[in-house]
Amino acid sequence: MLREYRTALPYLREHRGRYAAGALCLLVVDGSQVLMPQLVKRAVDLVSSGAFSRREVLEVCLWMLLAALAIAVSRFLWRYFIHGSSRRIEAAMRDALFSRLMDLSAGYFQANKTGDLMARATNDLGNVRQALGMGFVTLFDGVFMTAAVLVAMFAQNPRVALLAVIPLPAITLLILGFGGMVGRRFHKVQELYSRLSGIAQETMSGIRVVKSFVKEERFASDFSEANDRYAEASLSVAKVFAFFFPLISFLSGLTTAILILAGGRAVLGNAMSPGEIVAMLAYLEMLIWPMISAGFTVTMLQRGAASLSRVAEVLSAEPAIASAPGAIRGRPSGSVELRELSLTYGGAGRPALEGVSLRLPEGSTLGVLGRVGSGKSTLLKALPRLVEPPPGTVFVGGRDVLSLDLGDLRRAFGFVPQDSFLFSDTVAANVRFAVPELGEERFRRVVSIAALDRDVELFPAGWETVVGERGMTLSGGQKQRVAIARALAADPAILVLDDALSAVDAETEKAILAALLRERAGRTNILVSHRVSTLRNADLVVVLDEGRVAQSGSHAELLADSGGYYAEMARLQELEAGYGSGAAGRA
Amino acid sequence: MADYFESDVVTKDYDPRIMRRILSYLKPYKSSVLLTLIALALATAGELLVPVLVRRIVDEALVPSWYAVEPGAEGLVRLSGDEPRVGGAAYVAARALAELPRSERARLESEGLLGEEPCYVADLDAGGPDRRAAAAAAAQAAGARREGRWAVLSQAELRGLGPEQARALRARDSAYIARNAPILLAALAAVLAASFLHIFLSSLIGQRIMKDMRMELFRHASTRSLAYLSRQPVGRLVTRMTSDVETINQFFTDVLSAFLKDAAVMAGVLAVLVALDWRLALVVALTLPPVLVATSVSRTRARDAFRRQRQWLSRVNSYISERISGIAVVQLFAREEASRREFEAHDRELLRANLGEMYVFAVFRPIVDFLATLTTAAVVYAGAQLIGARLVSLGTLVAFVNLVRMFYSPVTDISEKYTILQSAMAGGERVFRLLDADEAIPDEGRRAMPSPLRGKIEFDRVRFAYKEGEWILKDLSFAVEPGEMVAIVGYTGAGKTTIANLITRLWDAQEGRIEVDGIPIAELPLAGLRRAIQPVPQDVFLFSGTIEDNIRLGPEVSEERMRLAAAAVHADEFIGRIEGGYRALLSEGATNISQGQRQLLSFARVLAHDPAVVILDEATASIDTETERMVQRGLEGLLAGRTSVVIAHRLSTIRHADRILVLSQGRVAEEGRHEELLERRGLYWNLYRLQFGGKTEE
Repeated sequence: MLREYRTALPYLREHRGRYAAGALCLLVVDGSQVLMPQLVKRAVDLVSSGAFSRREVLEVCLWMLLAALAIAVSRFLWRYFIHGSSRRIEAAMRDALFSRLMDLSAGYFQANKTGDLMARATNDLGNVRQALGMGFVTLFDGVFMTAAVLVAMFAQNPRVALLAVIPLPAITLLILGFGGMVGRRFHKVQELYSRLSGIAQETMSGIRVVKSFVKEERFASDFSEANDRYAEASLSVAKVFAFFFPLISFLSGLTTAILILAGGRAVLGNAMSPGEIVAMLAYLEMLIWPMISAGFTVTMLQRGAASLSRVAEVLSAEPAIASAPGAIRGRPSGSVELRELSLTYGGAGRPALEGVSLRLPEGSTLGVLGRVGSGKSTLLKALPRLVEPPPGTVFVGGRDVLSLDLGDLRRAFGFVPQDSFLFSDTVAANVRFAVPELGEERFRRVVSIAALDRDVELFPAGWETVVGERGMTLSGGQKQRVAIARALAADPAILVLDDALSAVDAETEKAILAALLRERAGRTNILVSHRVSTLRNADLVVVLDEGRVAQSGSHAELLADSGGYYAEMARLQELEAGYGSGAAGRA
Repeated sequence: MADYFESDVVTKDYDPRIMRRILSYLKPYKSSVLLTLIALALATAGELLVPVLVRRIVDEALVPSWYAVEPGAEGLVRLSGDEPRVGGAAYVAARALAELPRSERARLESEGLLGEEPCYVADLDAGGPDRRAAAAAAAQAAGARREGRWAVLSQAELRGLGPEQARALRARDSAYIARNAPILLAALAAVLAASFLHIFLSSLIGQRIMKDMRMELFRHASTRSLAYLSRQPVGRLVTRMTSDVETINQFFTDVLSAFLKDAAVMAGVLAVLVALDWRLALVVALTLPPVLVATSVSRTRARDAFRRQRQWLSRVNSYISERISGIAVVQLFAREEASRREFEAHDRELLRANLGEMYVFAVFRPIVDFLATLTTAAVVYAGAQLIGARLVSLGTLVAFVNLVRMFYSPVTDISEKYTILQSAMAGGERVFRLLDADEAIPDEGRRAMPSPLRGKIEFDRVRFAYKEGEWILKDLSFAVEPGEMVAIVGYTGAGKTTIANLITRLWDAQEGRIEVDGIPIAELPLAGLRRAIQPVPQDVFLFSGTIEDNIRLGPEVSEERMRLAAAAVHADEFIGRIEGGYRALLSEGATNISQGQRQLLSFARVLAHDPAVVILDEATASIDTETERMVQRGLEGLLAGRTSVVIAHRLSTIRHADRILVLSQGRVAEEGRHEELLERRGLYWNLYRLQFGGKTEE
């Protein structure tokens, strides 16, 4: 378990002064607390002797207040030092975690689901904080407090003390056993909980289908069944809890009973003063909490260790894609060349790209056509190194992309991905994403090219409209157009549109393409589309099939190859259009 | 969209209406609640009994003391007569003395009839005849004055005895302890049983109520109109049914149950204190005001700190989650460094909020502990004076010290409970807001569905707006004859999709009439109408489950009909190729089948339910030409022999249509067959060239 805590060592070292101060405060608290029953004992013995002066009692009471003051101040201080440190460490680790995530490559995020990474940034860091904060306190405090109290009790009357503490270890054992029992049941509860919310989630997402097919009752009965099972499982946890805490009180009550029996005998035999029995009563109560927390401390430290190793996994993950040492700085120009590019994803049997070569001089436009899964997206991703190409296969601005500074390489691109992901920020901030300092004039220009202005200016909040989670308040077409404006903002050397107009209606698509190509004159563009009518704007068209270049050439050349896929597509699409006009002609 | 981002911040701390409403869910469980309360009372009484028993043992057995009342006091005080008497003086137990009326005791003292020093009176017969000799010898050794079975010693004389002799002399006290120990154990066992019952029953009631509430929410939400549901993000509805209900559960288990327990213990402690000694109870009461002040100050501080903490936590978490989901965009635009800076600023705020919360508790808890000690010290000081004045017994003082500790232990976490109470109130408010949403399509149809339905559809001057004032349909009139296939075309936003929503009454039109087979649809039973007329939406929604589940949607559709339907739309071909066939599981979002295959499943689903009328909303998303052909074949199977309205996005569809309606600005602008409309060179002609990739620019 200690091995895992090595990850936390640099952080702990940074805060060692605070931890030392916190530990010192804990010692003051423990010491003063152990003193307290002694003072009560003195008061009781004074009173029971029958002969005491007012001043003597007052003195004892003032000592009590003094000790209480020391306890209060030290308690505040240890919280300040230790909880403060654990919170600061948590924040620092979260920063480090986030920072690392930003550098990790696409492959990592495919292998690790968002939910899992989130769990590390939230639950796991929380567990680490618990372990480094409360875990440290209960461990340290538990050990010292227990030791001090036991010493005080045994010093008074070893026989009585021994008898009275017998039930206490049972509390710790109970907690440890309880942890396992609850853990298993709780796991079941969580499973059923996510099933329950899964059903609710799905029914509400598909509510149109549910209503259209009048299936409300069927889904309600699914939900009802999951609901029953969840409630049942929750109760089985509740049952354990219901037994657990009363049992602890019972055991602690048992120590009181033993003390009265054994201690009473000692008092009757003049072996103990009445004050001592009262003090012991207080000491026993002080032991209950360390016994409970001993069980929790073990769980807390174990959980903290497990969580630390999960956090460390992320922190120590090396970005698969990074700038090479001595990478060339400065943005490359817009020429693109692929030389025999082959790429196979890990775990895939078949290469995603195989021997793809092409040359795209700066200022020209490339069109890409191909079925779903033909390797189009992989090709696009290899250019800005979202997936890593082999050395000597991808060249941008005449240099191997692997030799360029990663940030500079990527800044050369304006990418409109297929899913047009937007952040939940204002529309304006999304457009300005790459260039926060984007001038007003340029802003106007790019939103007008993306035909975004007329839509957004009709929104009540205009450009300040907040895009809902994953762009929920915008239509698919509007999202795509925001993504286009975002990519245009930096006036990139190479603009990439990955089927980025699919949700825009035909009329608008045409207008956008026209404006876009005018704006981009002299710069490089790459268009992926299913529509031959879009691809005809390209200087060079590449048809991909199962990762290979099946055809390449100009629109006209490809059309001329009447047996080819491109010509067939063109014919099919033309035929549909042509059939219409033909039919009209016949009528 | 107004309530899409509805703020979930609840500003009110406590709302009695919400509380009453939450509590009203207890009604069906009245007897369990009663039992819980009884268990609670028992547990509390048992817990309070323990210090009282300890007090008795201290007073009666551990430190019993007597005062001599000289002869001649009979006229001044009423003695019971069975007090031990030695040398003419009656010995009155300290506790009995403390209970004497003030005036009587004052008289005794002023007359000098009351002994100054507390002494010990031993009962030499208590150990039985065989122990009598040993007891007498011990009394002898201590120098006690004896008379009959009684021996009187000073406290100093008693302390001077060795262990054996002291025990022999105090046989009565040993017996007293031995008698009371089982009572103590029984009290502890009773507390154990009653506490278990109390906690378990409150969880049971809580869980039952949660179950009821979730079911009510689910049924309520799923029967709301789409007009309402489309304004609610799915995540929010799910949260209402799950985590919001969970906060109310916390209210039942942590607040209602534990809080009642704490309150019962605190009230019980106060009551016992008063019963034991009102003077010392007054001392305790005098030290309480600062506790109340500290609690109420920390309550508001804790609430504010907690809110800030939650707010920043959710901001930080959603920032992380969003940046992870959009990591490709971040990296493509090389915004890693900027994101880091932005995140660190957020994280710093969260740290400040976290530390703020820590300070509140770091200050509050030590203060309460200090005040507890202050109370104890005050009790000890005042108690010592009262004991000196023979007004209070030592046992009472010990009981007070213990009871004060009991009283203070719930105070430390009272602000945490208060926070839970608040989040339960907030949860309750949100849950009830959903339950109070009364937007549902009225199902008041009295007329029977025509059987068989011929499938004639008529829109007559229908006006409809999703949002008030923004009319989507303005005076829309058209008719579809039984068996006819009508295509509807128009620019985006012309109101095409809305037509399907209105015929199936997913929304109700504001004005105008919609009739099916000559009957206004509002007069037909909703379920019957929806079964007879089925929409095929643009976006196919597949549930997680098997292909079979997704076609059948329940047991009403037989397996055979499912297979026939799948075959008719040619979905059987690809299903046969998938491993597992109809039993194949569709993954989340059904990414394991293609767009076209999803469409075919959706067709099969509709066909399996055999509606008389199909309203098809063709997908606009560009799909490759092969997929398009596949879908086309499926479509033919679906529409064969049925009345259909197709919101067309594909050329082949309009070609097949019996009639085309051109929708513009919420009205039918043109109507006719494809060729006729083209010849007219109007709206359709224009639209056709644009939308269906017709020849070149003008």
